[in-house]
Amino acid sequence: MAINTSNSNVATRENRIGSITGYVGTLKDLASQSECGTLKGCSRCFSQSSTCLSTCGLGQLAGIRDVAIIHHGPAGCSVASANAYYMSKVMSKKRGVTSSTVYVGTDMNENDTIFGSTSTLRDVILEVNKRYSPKAIFVSSSCATGIIGEDIDSIVDDVREEVGVPIVAVHCEGFKSRIWATGFDISDHAVLQEIVQPPREGVKTNKINFKNFFESARPEIIEMFKQFDLEPVFLYCNSTIEELSHLSESIATTCICGTLGNYLGNALEEQYGVPYVRSINQCGITGFETWLREIGKVTGRSDKIEKYIEEQRAIYIPQIEEVKKELKGLTAVLGMGPGYTFEVSRVLEELGIKVVWALAWHYDKKYEDGNVPPSMKYLLDNDIDFEASVADQQNYEVMNILNKYQPDMYLSRHPGSTVWAIKNGTPAIYVADEYMIFGYKHTLEFAKTIVDAIKNRSFEENLAKRTKLPYTDWWYKQNVDTFLEEVK
Amino acid sequence: MSEIRQIAIYGKGGIGKSTTTQNLTAGLVEHGKKVMVVGCDPKADSTRLLLGGLAQKTVLDTIREEGEDVELDRILKEGYGGTRCVESGGPEPGVGCAGRGIITSINMLENLGAYTDDLDYVFYDVLGDVVCGGFAMPIREGKAKEIYIVASGEMMALYAANNISKGIQRYARTGGVRLGGIICNSRNVDRELDLLRAFSKELGTKLLYFVPRDNIVQHAEINKKTVIEYRPDSNQAQEYRNLAQAVIENEDFVIPTPMTQERLEEILMEYGMMELADDYKI
Repeated sequence: MAINTSNSNVATRENRIGSITGYVGTLKDLASQSECGTLKGCSRCFSQSSTCLSTCGLGQLAGIRDVAIIHHGPAGCSVASANAYYMSKVMSKKRGVTSSTVYVGTDMNENDTIFGSTSTLRDVILEVNKRYSPKAIFVSSSCATGIIGEDIDSIVDDVREEVGVPIVAVHCEGFKSRIWATGFDISDHAVLQEIVQPPREGVKTNKINFKNFFESARPEIIEMFKQFDLEPVFLYCNSTIEELSHLSESIATTCICGTLGNYLGNALEEQYGVPYVRSINQCGITGFETWLREIGKVTGRSDKIEKYIEEQRAIYIPQIEEVKKELKGLTAVLGMGPGYTFEVSRVLEELGIKVVWALAWHYDKKYEDGNVPPSMKYLLDNDIDFEASVADQQNYEVMNILNKYQPDMYLSRHPGSTVWAIKNGTPAIYVADEYMIFGYKHTLEFAKTIVDAIKNRSFEENLAKRTKLPYTDWWYKQNVDTFLEEVK
Repeated sequence: MSEIRQIAIYGKGGIGKSTTTQNLTAGLVEHGKKVMVVGCDPKADSTRLLLGGLAQKTVLDTIREEGEDVELDRILKEGYGGTRCVESGGPEPGVGCAGRGIITSINMLENLGAYTDDLDYVFYDVLGDVVCGGFAMPIREGKAKEIYIVASGEMMALYAANNISKGIQRYARTGGVRLGGIICNSRNVDRELDLLRAFSKELGTKLLYFVPRDNIVQHAEINKKTVIEYRPDSNQAQEYRNLAQAVIENEDFVIPTPMTQERLEEILMEYGMMELADDYKI
């Protein structure tokens, strides 16, 4: 589907690429239904709370250095500002740069919802511009402004000349989508609309756009890419507006997580011909090699990459094989976003661990280019199958699965989720950093982390003995899909 | 002391809800009833005839300009025959949310103690169709228990009345709100009385009163008066008194049974409106 950046509104993942949040079945069924286009998501007649897409969208934008996020809504909507500030400060400090990004809420009150408050918004934009001189301004809607139809686009157009820096309306109404990853697309859309410029004439570069979350492996990736004569541009965390304005000049775009990178990668390819590297991600041995080879193909650097792979294999494969002996036959349940759960499943299988159930917090049956996500295609092509479900962090379903299967470990990228597993007596591994399983080195470390986690289980066992979980025996006896309903 | 009868008046835009409500109020006043009229329209013209003009400051304007610490007498004005008049008010056309405004202003009236025990009737004169939750506010949470829909023999008026009935049905399931009947504000459409009777019957209610068309209503409006005040001896004044009497005596309150679009059109066909559509005149 063509990406239309002339309109400030982005269609949701549900509408655009048929993403779902409700499914229980098997991986094979999920993948084959995706491929033939028959997959229909289910809704739930009971649902626990989930995450707001605006936290994802604006959190991404707030990672950019020296910009202003103006969240037009009641004070509570800008609750994400605390975390955004914290992340921005910590991440810039870690990298040794400074960021003066501000996150401002307009503190809409009841009168504002009745009479509209675009004039206040206008004043806030101008004041923020005057006070902080940001390099770009992102003006976001909220649920309240969305419902009353506040005309943010007009205000943004109206003040554009006066503020003199890129300014863009970001439509982040939380009710739009059950899938928080829609927020990632919204942030990409905003960047594409106003920040990214057409490539400058005659500029030749060896840059490769690298979409990630918190760039923790930045130094080692820069080092690795140097050997291939490539220079990564990490985004959006610690990006500058100047860097982002030249994304269209890079020789390729890649990402750490398909869910995160899909929209920007495809849009840059569609609009500026920057190739998007489509492969399984860098987790595990096969993932890392497949990804590197794809980069080699896209950028014409296959020889250098093959040489690198050969050298690294010699160092790490024997060590990984050694640790694998201790992992053979273990069982795992995992719950992550779809950009990770099907990638990490692959790595676990690679390490000899049997995946008994994989939960994805949502599922994209295809990506922007119209194809099934590479992670799913890989599992399908390699005849790997296990039980799988799609649940937007519905903890009660996770607990039902853990209780039934009592796996050796639970893996999640979401911190609250792993705590619940531990209370169930299940050793849990928090795959927090997106580079935790990156390449040979981190795959080896990851394998060792698993060994550590499962060797001494006394903490989990003791905690479980002393914890009363809120779920009843009745619930544990039910099927996981008890509260799923066919979409009408 | 009997319970206050809280009544919401709905109907298609321009059908004459405000005119009917205010004339009905004047009729009730003559019966010695104590009435409060709450205008739920951003245009704030629901009490003009009772107050003799649009001089009133709306609840929302007052809150906006003076904050939430307002005195009741700043927003409650006394009109014809001791009626109490309030206008909810609302945003400029095209901005903000008028529905939210109604919710806020009705809550404000309650908080300020506008619903005193000496009242016999409270009328909510609500803008147009029940377009969103805000415009359903008067019939939610146990406020208005009685609803009258003002309609005429015109198709769009009946279409709107049917739609409004869907809203009533929704809130009737959870709250105590009931439809008290249809008030016909006649447009002199052919077979209007028969059509309105049939329509009301299909909705499971009755035609409470048929108010004939009379130019004196327009004259009274120009003079910012109800007909009862403007020409107490006129036939039309008597019609409104009769309407007031019908409301006082009404005991038939039902959960309406809204019809499908097809059924509505069938009724219209039956009473000849579809065929006559070309030459019907207002």
